Parts: sequence; structure tokens; C-alpha cells
Amino acid sequence: MSFKSFRKRRPDGGVPTDSFSDIAFLLIIFFIVTTSLKRVVGFETELPASKEAEKKTEEKTPTVTLKANQITFLEAEVSMEAFKEKLADMKLAERKDDAKVILMDATMETDYQNYYEVMAAISEAGGVVGIMTETK
Amino acid sequence: MKLRRRKKMGIAVPTTSMGDIAFLLIIFFMVCSNFAKESKIKFKPVDAEGLKAVENAKISVVIDEESSLFLDGQLVNDVPTFKLLMEQALANKATPKSRMVLFKCDRYASKRVFEPVLDAIASAGGIIVAVGEKRKSE
Repeated sequence: MSFKSFRKRRPDGGVPTDSFSDIAFLLIIFFIVTTSLKRVVGFETELPASKEAEKKTEEKTPTVTLKANQITFLEAEVSMEAFKEKLADMKLAERKDDAKVILMDATMETDYQNYYEVMAAISEAGGVVGIMTETK
Repeated sequence: MKLRRRKKMGIAVPTTSMGDIAFLLIIFFMVCSNFAKESKIKFKPVDAEGLKAVENAKISVVIDEESSLFLDGQLVNDVPTFKLLMEQALANKATPKSRMVLFKCDRYASKRVFEPVLDAIASAGGIIVAVGEKRKSE
């Protein structure tokens, strides 16, 4: 009887890497499915702390009023293009702090699309949006 | 005369570097992607002219087409709770970048829905990044 057959085999000690690429490709598929590579577009705005609808602020700060699709700025009804032109004339980007603020007042029925367009126009002109909330 | 039989050429695709390539691709996706946390939330995005690329913020707020409010993909039942959560999320955040809040809202949502949310973000000290889509020129 030979003793050779009873000798234990030594383990190789290597890490099995055959399935690494399979695991990696599964992870890639997961990332492709769960991610979006779309760039986010919009504008940044740091709204001043809630402005109550008080007459004293209204007197000093230019106010834009929204009623559904109707825009009223500096007490005149304007189109979006005219509103943008008026904002450009005001040179808001060159002004300092509080002088940059344009107050926004809107009726409860105003939808976000109209609100957003006005906010975007103010931000584009270098202004700061102030929202007027109604007191109960 | 003895003729030697030609050896057959074995066709094999070298796969040793496949794992390395795959892991490089994973690193690429991890670095330049955002997780689609809100893929199940349905809303019609707003559009406007002159929008620019903005930095992606860690906190995101969405108002969907049914006027439900979501903070980081989680439904929030009311505005006072939302305000508390925003204050907690923005506590100890000193840099402007860390205070940025992505705001997405359905285009038909009315002022009574979105305005208290905007006000809550502002009063918690957040910088609102109002997300929209670039209007395609006609």
C-alpha cells in the first residue's frame, strides 16, 4: 500500500477572480438603470425671510403682481417681454442688498408655471425675489 | 515523406482585463451620476427661457401633480412637519453649497400649495434652486 494517496493536497491560496467581471458588469447595469446623467437647469434664489403683506414694504419695494396670466409691474399691466425690458432698465445686478429685491404678489389661483417664469426673469436680471404671503 | 500536420490556431478572447475595464466603468458612473430618487414621483416640469446649469443639491423637495409634498423622495403630510424637517436638515450647515435645496414642482400646482413650501425653505435658511427645463425655441 502506498502512502502517497493519503497525502493531503495543499490549497493553492489564490483568490478566485473568474467571476469578477460578471459582478462588475452587473454593477454597471445597476448604475445605468438607477442614475440620470441629465444636467439640472434652473436658477438659484435666496428668498428673504417671509414678507407679510404690509403696506410699508410695498411703498418702497417694486412689486410685481400676478393674476393668472396677467402681470402687473409698477402699477401697469405688462407682457412678459415688457416686464423683462423694465427689469433690464432697472439694472438690478448693479444694485446692493435690499435695493435688488422685487416683491412678488400673486392670487391663490396663480399656477407655478407663471410664477416660475416671473421668478426666472427677476433672477436673470440679477434681482432677488421676495414673496408676499397673506396674513390670516 | 512525412508531412507535418498544421497546428490548429486556438481562438480565444482575452478576458483577463475585462474586470479592470468594468470596475473603471463603475467608478465613472459613481462619480458622474445622480441617483434617481424621485423616479416614481409624477409631475409636469415648468419651463422658461434663460435657465442655466445649476449645481446639484443634496436636499430635494418635490410637489407632484396631486399636490403631494416629498422631501428627498419621502412623502411629508403637512407643511409644519416639512418645516421642522427642513430646519433639522439645514442645522449646522454653514456654507451656501450645503444649504442649497432643489425645488421641483408641478406646473399646474396653485400658489396655495407651493408658496408655504417655498416660505418654509426660506425661513429654515435654505437657498432655493428652482429647477425647470429650458424652453425650446419655436
